[in-house]
Amino acid sequence: MPNKISAQDVLNALRSVQDPDLRRDIVSLGFVKDLEVGDSRVVFTIQLTTPACPVRDQMAAAARQAVEALGVRDVQVRMTSQVVSASTGRNQLIPQVKNTVAVASGKGGVGKSTVAANLAIALHRAGAKVGLMDTDVYGPSVPTLMGGSSPPHVVEGKLEPPVEYGIKIISMAYFLPKDEAVIWRGPMLHKTIQQFLGEVRWGDLDYLIMDLPPGTGDIQLSLAQTIPLTGAVIVSTPQDLALTVASKAIAMFKKLNVPILGLIENMSYHVCSQCGHREDIFGHGGAREAANRLACPFLGEIPLDVNVRIQSDNGKPVALDDATLYGKAFQEIAGALAAQISIAGYRVDQGISIE
Amino acid sequence: MPVAPKKIKLAAGDGTLAVEWSDGHLSAYPYRYLRDHCPCATCGESGGAPHTDPGPFPILGQKPLRPERAELVGRYALQIFWSDNHSSGIYGFDYLRELCPCAECRTRSSDPKVESL
Repeated sequence: MPNKISAQDVLNALRSVQDPDLRRDIVSLGFVKDLEVGDSRVVFTIQLTTPACPVRDQMAAAARQAVEALGVRDVQVRMTSQVVSASTGRNQLIPQVKNTVAVASGKGGVGKSTVAANLAIALHRAGAKVGLMDTDVYGPSVPTLMGGSSPPHVVEGKLEPPVEYGIKIISMAYFLPKDEAVIWRGPMLHKTIQQFLGEVRWGDLDYLIMDLPPGTGDIQLSLAQTIPLTGAVIVSTPQDLALTVASKAIAMFKKLNVPILGLIENMSYHVCSQCGHREDIFGHGGAREAANRLACPFLGEIPLDVNVRIQSDNGKPVALDDATLYGKAFQEIAGALAAQISIAGYRVDQGISIE
Repeated sequence: MPVAPKKIKLAAGDGTLAVEWSDGHLSAYPYRYLRDHCPCATCGESGGAPHTDPGPFPILGQKPLRPERAELVGRYALQIFWSDNHSSGIYGFDYLRELCPCAECRTRSSDPKVESL
């Protein structure tokens, strides 16, 4: 019969469990909460920094084993999460949004909007509160990808964003008849960004994913000036050409002090739906090499699959089904992204004070 | 991460704006000097002489120059709202650091052949 175990014994045992991304043990990180030590029973909660934590199950198992090693037979571990805000300074326009992530690319046509929409869905399916802002006013494709048709309506003087698959969405597409074009100069674009941020009822969000237009123009600059962005994700195809242009987008964000949360290689390879043959149509692995070269995290690869296009056109994002190859890819990438945001949250200083 | 301000004091005494940087460096910018180096396009256009916006009552003469308030721009710059009604200057943190008038920064940026003492 083991000696009576104290709360301190349990905490000491739990110090052996490390968060692999934050590289500290879960006790000193303050993750362990609501610890109750009974006669032969120990109950506690581990509060992670994101519901999309990719190592959640391993951490729960390691914690359980650590306490069982003390001789306790009944160990109950509850896993919860509270998303950490990784933005420096004051986020005056949208104070209830914890993290803002810009999804950017250098070139157009690399699948940025599809990636943004599916990332949002994967994060939401993991349990986070997510919003999706389509800032590509020239080619707004998010409502099509998400199957959205209901327009926003005004509540108490602000826009209530429509919700599709659990995600709040705002897009220029809601405000324009289908075949009309937006032919605007800079100041109008800047105003649109300010309105999308300040005049929409986003509510409490863990992650606001922003689908940017391609390139490095007015909208990118307006966003980086109007709010302290948590970070940027760069989408590219494997080819050198796409990567060369993508590195310009990376250079822009570096100049604006926006952290690069990671690179994603889209259309990474093709697997034939008939015979399973794999072909690297646009090359393969270029984005991972670029990430190494530029010292940015690499978040993952998404294969090129005809179903991604079919379902996108039908407004049913593939990330809804994580049993498929690409659904799984989005799930893993979302986890990697959430981990990078958590790491950024632990690195951030108090912010800049002005008096 | 590139060097950024930790603390900014608009009225640090002796007519200066002070910045405490993340690498520990301290800068003190006299108001006139900082205003004269406004990076905005309008000031640049006036060929060196800073553009001043007259207030509603120019006959009352000019108020003494000081920064009335300042705001962060994204994560990379500071926007200063001056008492002469000029506020279009966005001072990037790297530009602000380059402007530091202290002796240490001045020697580093001047003749590279100058040997350290």
